[in-house]
Amino acid sequence: MDYLGQDRREGLGRKAHSRFVLVLLILVSVLLLLSSLYSAQASVFKKAREGVMDAASPVLSLFAGPINYVNGVAGSIGDYFNVIEQNKALRQENAELRQWMNEALELRETVASYEALKGYAAPPTAQPISAYVIGESNDAFARSMIVNAGRANNVEVGQAVVDENGLIGRIVEAGGGASRVLLLTDIQSRIPVYIEGADIEGILVGNTRRNPVISFTAGVDDVEAAPGQRVLTSGAGGALPRGLPVGTVIGENRGEIIVELYANYARTRLVRVINYAFPHVEPEAAIDPSAPGEESAVSGDPEPAPAEG
Amino acid sequence: MGYRAENLFRLFKAAAPTMLGVLGVLLLAAPIRLFEGFAPTPILPLVIVFFWSIYGPDYLPPLSVFVIGLLQDLLTGGPLGLWPAVYLVTQYIVMSQRAYFIGREQKVVWIGFAFASAGAGLILWLVMSLMSGALLPVRFLLLQLAATIAIYPLFGVVFGELHRRVLVEA
Repeated sequence: MDYLGQDRREGLGRKAHSRFVLVLLILVSVLLLLSSLYSAQASVFKKAREGVMDAASPVLSLFAGPINYVNGVAGSIGDYFNVIEQNKALRQENAELRQWMNEALELRETVASYEALKGYAAPPTAQPISAYVIGESNDAFARSMIVNAGRANNVEVGQAVVDENGLIGRIVEAGGGASRVLLLTDIQSRIPVYIEGADIEGILVGNTRRNPVISFTAGVDDVEAAPGQRVLTSGAGGALPRGLPVGTVIGENRGEIIVELYANYARTRLVRVINYAFPHVEPEAAIDPSAPGEESAVSGDPEPAPAEG
Repeated sequence: MGYRAENLFRLFKAAAPTMLGVLGVLLLAAPIRLFEGFAPTPILPLVIVFFWSIYGPDYLPPLSVFVIGLLQDLLTGGPLGLWPAVYLVTQYIVMSQRAYFIGREQKVVWIGFAFASAGAGLILWLVMSLMSGALLPVRFLLLQLAATIAIYPLFGVVFGELHRRVLVEA
């Protein structure tokens, strides 16, 4: 393999300066790392990120075709092996969902009759923006996705992103034609949630593991949550609409509740960015108990049945 | 081949490893989810940095490595400067061991790459743990490093052929 040891000066670099430049650039990287620690939201960095994301989005979209083909082939290999079990599980789920559908239809009628009453103020409906996932950070510690909708489509930083299963994350960078979604499993993800039926609010904290945990503010102790209870966004802080399905409780570990997400990030393809403006509450209306705070904000969102033990 | 075409080809040859690195970064940012996401995408730029740091440092100068790393930071949304630091430190260490690797069997180089990846992974984990103030879980990182080490022999051969037949001799 002596052919690989040749030392011709044909490349981009010149050897004499190489070592010095290398050390210099390592220093630059470290400085950059330190400065991004203290000013991650500095406008220069933000512009650079958005610019690169916008520039890369056509290329990534171009990759999407062959990649989906390969993913499909590789994914279906697994499907061939457990097609029978899947069929069985799906049939059972279908039966359960039919019951839920009947219940939902009944409820819809009931709700319609209540809405017909005087004095009902409908909560603002969300404007979903559909987008495809074109990029994903395949990184050990950063969990995010790039979707092909940006400011041109009214996507803004802070908006919730859902897929057919439930919440997948929120927008952290919005470029012109592409945006970045910070997933719930990312170490920086903090989402205000509540546990249905337990009447306690907490923060869903990502930890790069598959299942994020809910941590509660100091003072709340002895939280009781049974496995299988649903976790929904609480809307606290006014960032996300209330009532988006997030996942189910699967256990507890040292005062933190472990949540299994509805979202399956290995299958997320088509997402909806929820462009939701919180209702502007007039001071006198705030006393009114019928204020539309508890309503599920997203109409027509398919809410999965709670997992049965 | 005309004078201009020849110049273009020379430019292409000189920039080929850099372009491959950029392509590797784009692959890292693409939603490749083999086997339901259980097989992580290999860190191809690490292979490229390692390979050309040994066999042709002139073809992959530090500035190219810096740009490749920065692009990866910008595209994956991590803190800026993280991947340039990881790749450049890898390049520094590998270049200092160059004399040992040149002319060795590919098996030996492969083991060298495994060590280099482990070092890169350690830096990555340490920096990210420091920045997040907690010891981060390493499972996914180990899987990704394993995938990267596993593909090295294949890409070592491919890059070797490319380097010999196109970059150096053509």
